[in-house]
Amino acid sequence: MKKSLLFSLLAVPLVLSGCGTGGNEGGSTPSEDGQNGDGAGGETVTVNFFNQKPEITAQLEELAAMYSEQSESNANVTITTVGSGEGSAALQARFSSGDEPALMMLNGLPEIERYSDSLVDVSEMEVADTVIDGLLEGGTIDDTQLGIPLNIEGFGWMYNKDIFDQAGIDPESIESYDDFVAAVETLDSQKEELGIEEVFGFSGGENYIANQFSANFTSPEFNHSILDAYNAEELTWEYGDQMQKYTDLINEYNVQPILTVDYSRSVEELFVNDQVALVHQGVWIVPTLNDIDPDFAQEKLGILPTYGESDTEGRIPAGSPWYIGINGNMDEAVVEEAKNFIDWMYLSEEGQEMILNDLAFIPAQEGYDPEDISDPVSRQIYQAMLAGESAAFVHNQYPSGWFQQELYPQFQSYLNGEQSWEAFEENTSQAFSEMR
Amino acid sequence: MKGKKKNLYYWAFVIPSLLAVFFVIVLPLILGIGTSLTNSDGHTAVFIGLNNYRRLLSDEQFIYSLWFTIRFAFVAVILINVIGLGLALIVTQKIGKISLFFRTVFFMPNLIGGIILGFIWQFIFVRAFAGIAEATGLTFFNAWLADTTTGFWGLVIVFLWQMSGYIMIIYISFLANIPGELIEAGKIDGANKWQAFWQIKFPMLAPAFTVSLFLTLANAFKIYDLNLALTNGAPFGSTEMIAMNIYNTAFFQYQQGYAQSKAVIFFLIVAVISLTQVFITRRKEVDL
Repeated sequence: MKKSLLFSLLAVPLVLSGCGTGGNEGGSTPSEDGQNGDGAGGETVTVNFFNQKPEITAQLEELAAMYSEQSESNANVTITTVGSGEGSAALQARFSSGDEPALMMLNGLPEIERYSDSLVDVSEMEVADTVIDGLLEGGTIDDTQLGIPLNIEGFGWMYNKDIFDQAGIDPESIESYDDFVAAVETLDSQKEELGIEEVFGFSGGENYIANQFSANFTSPEFNHSILDAYNAEELTWEYGDQMQKYTDLINEYNVQPILTVDYSRSVEELFVNDQVALVHQGVWIVPTLNDIDPDFAQEKLGILPTYGESDTEGRIPAGSPWYIGINGNMDEAVVEEAKNFIDWMYLSEEGQEMILNDLAFIPAQEGYDPEDISDPVSRQIYQAMLAGESAAFVHNQYPSGWFQQELYPQFQSYLNGEQSWEAFEENTSQAFSEMR
Repeated sequence: MKGKKKNLYYWAFVIPSLLAVFFVIVLPLILGIGTSLTNSDGHTAVFIGLNNYRRLLSDEQFIYSLWFTIRFAFVAVILINVIGLGLALIVTQKIGKISLFFRTVFFMPNLIGGIILGFIWQFIFVRAFAGIAEATGLTFFNAWLADTTTGFWGLVIVFLWQMSGYIMIIYISFLANIPGELIEAGKIDGANKWQAFWQIKFPMLAPAFTVSLFLTLANAFKIYDLNLALTNGAPFGSTEMIAMNIYNTAFFQYQQGYAQSKAVIFFLIVAVISLTQVFITRRKEVDL
């Protein structure tokens, strides 16, 4: 008796909150209803695109304007941007409040799964056929393709060619972990002549850098497959020894205190000003480097793989960090228009030109001439991706919150000498299973 | 008849704010307590009883964050009130127009948002301190924010910087309200400045303590923006305060039911501590 009373008391708020979300199942907000009419010709269809990459807002808005202009059906694409790690919380808020976007950028399978009930199957879309092999699986839940990869990104040891030249190191000759260590030691012995502060400018103060760094060593454990990583119940750190070797190497030759080196210091201050020779970063730093020094990416930037699997097998992790999902809760007209926009963006001539030049994306589609990709590092990553020689973006498939709450603190703790590597592996591995 | 009309006016004025309080505070609180009994991930929720609360007892990071926040609040509350009162006493001395200038300067940091303050001070701690250490060879200035101790004191220093001026304003207004005759009478009776402060001003300031302690205590517990901008929990999650722990659970791990149960516990702790404090300091207040 008492129990049921308690339960009914508790049930009231639950039911209330249930009503709240239930009411939104219809999907469209009042303003959109007003605009859509019932498919009446001439009415404007508004497609809202939820963007989580602030650095491409301007280009996306231009794309949206171009699309709206050429569209015959009075479509209007609008862009909403929330970034810097707050995007997924903001997206959740949009869904809870009923103001759902028609298109949304989603980060990895765990996030796609959370919205999987709302997303439509995209496998029939034209653009889906052109996507590079293996990339679509990063947007696939229960054999249904729910996301179109936005672009390709890749990361690894970004190095400064000038400094390597001056030190007499030929980057092409680095073919194993030992070569890499030798290069680092050579650089270190000539620090003063080269005018560098330290060899590495690794950002020990950014959680996503620790996350990306770990992908070098977890990708082989998951067979370089996004799906395997997503389905994995546990992480055994099969290649943890390699990771420890790298971590110790970085820590020894890095700018200290390593834990307070953040992104802007590492890239915008040290790396671009030739103060460090190596950073663990990805192609997204190219626009920033070019802003500060217009020739940097063309003249000085190179990328080296990480020997994560063994001392002789080096790979560059590459993949699509973002997938575009289409919200099936919206009116049919909106869904259609959203699909059209994505097809147009990736398949039309104007769209492709924007993607290569203004957005400076590495395209996630086959059929581009690598020579059309402007900077050498991006070209290298596109080719590695096409040839299947890259490692997978497994770090986006870790359990939600694992890298922020476990991997990063534990990794910092090891860097600072607070705990042993065994403890690092044990703690992170245990949390991985618990949070999965 | 007249009474009825008065009643009507009374309710007409009260109801709008009552409704606002209900919808903005009471209803979310009830919904929140409801959510804390589920395994909600933001989309679906299943009732799981008190499991979340049981799980809290063995959540090391949560307990650590809570303890860290309590230590932070303890140190910060004492120091802010000492410094705030000290500043108030200095600027209420008869030193002419310049006291106005000092009041403004001391209050200024409070006008800057926590996020900005956090970033400014991060620069000071990490870069400027490193520069000082290099120039002077003093190891004290080395590697700030890179370990737990400096992270803790870094947060305390910035919070003091932000709040002291505000608390100073409160003390100033209460100091200005102490009747001059009382001090004068004390002087005639032979009290020196020190005695005048402890025997007359200090007891008369009791209501100011109630307000200031309450404000600093509640603020110190609920701090988030400063924490985010200055350390973001680093190094290794050791400066993650309770509000940040809750936010991260809700929006990085998407365990919103669990995060909500943390928030309920947090609410109870803050409520109990602040109410106890108000109750105790109220008793010390003197009426003239």
